[in-house]
Amino acid sequence: MKYAYFPGCSIDASAKEYAIAAQAVNKYLDVEFVEIPEWNCCGSIDAVHAYNPLLSVSLAARNLALAENMKMDVVTLCSACFFTLSRANNMLRENMDTKEKVGKMINDAGLKYEGGVSVRHYLDVLANDVGYERIRQQVKTPLKGLKVAPYYGCLIVRPSGIRRFDDPEHPMSMDNLIQALGAEAVNYPDKTSCCGASLVITDEEIVMEMARSPLMTAVNAQADCIVTPCPMCHFNLDAKQRDIEKHFDVKIGLPVLYVTQLMGLAFGLHPKELGLGRNMVSPSNVVEKIQATNR
Amino acid sequence: MQKNHTSRTVTVTDPTFIEEVRKTPGGEKILDCIQCGICAGSCHTRFAMDYSPMQILKMAHLGLKQEVLSSKSIWICASCYTCASRCPRGLNIPAIMSAFKNMAMKNNVPSSTELKPRFHKTFTDIISKYGRMHEPELQMRLTDKTSPGALLHNASLGVRMLRKGKIRLRPHKLDSSTHFSDICQKALNAQEEAK
Repeated sequence: MKYAYFPGCSIDASAKEYAIAAQAVNKYLDVEFVEIPEWNCCGSIDAVHAYNPLLSVSLAARNLALAENMKMDVVTLCSACFFTLSRANNMLRENMDTKEKVGKMINDAGLKYEGGVSVRHYLDVLANDVGYERIRQQVKTPLKGLKVAPYYGCLIVRPSGIRRFDDPEHPMSMDNLIQALGAEAVNYPDKTSCCGASLVITDEEIVMEMARSPLMTAVNAQADCIVTPCPMCHFNLDAKQRDIEKHFDVKIGLPVLYVTQLMGLAFGLHPKELGLGRNMVSPSNVVEKIQATNR
Repeated sequence: MQKNHTSRTVTVTDPTFIEEVRKTPGGEKILDCIQCGICAGSCHTRFAMDYSPMQILKMAHLGLKQEVLSSKSIWICASCYTCASRCPRGLNIPAIMSAFKNMAMKNNVPSSTELKPRFHKTFTDIISKYGRMHEPELQMRLTDKTSPGALLHNASLGVRMLRKGKIRLRPHKLDSSTHFSDICQKALNAQEEAK
């Protein structure tokens, strides 16, 4: 199965390990990412969009037009890019005014978008194109006894009007995936809470308050780790975790893995192949637990 | 409400405000709001706002343009879309909040924090320059360089991220053959003309 792969800016920098692990597990699942050549920023949920909505949709349209030329559907690992590209895709199909204005913008750069591309999140591809059965067949070191808190965050399931592959209030796709890997998905009431996303740049204290809740809920549920399909959630829960600990004077020490990294561990891949050394909170307890049960 | 409204003596309303909102993509349904409060109860950033999303919508209905555009709430919305997915009337509240930000920036309405408009402008500027985000530059341009505490705090996380290979030192710039910068320039010009 081939997809036009849209990495996005986070994947290109702070979230590289998410993609490293995705590429590693793809080999086992007959999934192939063909990177969109010279892709640009997805258009941003709000940073560019609030300042200049026309530019934001044009940025997305350029990516969609490039993907259309490849005659493949778009897949992205990032929930924010998934949302932004989907939103633009919708507007370009339904809002004639936007379609005309944006069409002009990209026409002059030699591109044309006919609206023929579907935008997919990788979790959707895993759940619905690959399927849990196929994933289960690839498990070499079952994650028996591992308790995982599935943190979906916002944009992957919530937005209305775009391709919705899971329930916005109580999504289960990642819970099912975790179970297919042999682990236990803990009951996690914060699974769709918001981490604060890019507010971390301008309103750090608000984000620390917002990110503390899903972290503490996972600790209270006795999870060994949190798993997320979103680079922004990962940043606020993993990279900011030490600041949150200091700010609230609490000990958390909870590893936050990308969903692809957890899959890789279950497929028996070496932590190095999954970029686990890049996670800011060391996931060594997770790796050790898996090794201990599979000895 | 956290604000003391009894002290206000003169209220300026703008009846054209609501029409302005209705014309923006996502703002079409603003008059359908029935003030049920689901958005206010669902909002993940309500604790940091001065008015709840429901109050902001009502204020917009009343034409309180100045109050809405100078509120903290419009900048605190994290676009998580919890409210939008729950709204029984199908309002796209984050899109409306985004439109308010756009109006506030266009009309140079003083924001509760000057950092917020600067964030949007700087982000757009970097994307227009390279085609992709370059996080260190964004962080550098937004950090208060007169505050040693802020500089040190950011540097500390920056160094730890650098060690983990999470920071791209040089920006990736799109090839000029893509005519990417033409798209940006045109969109920015169109915005200027619309002012």
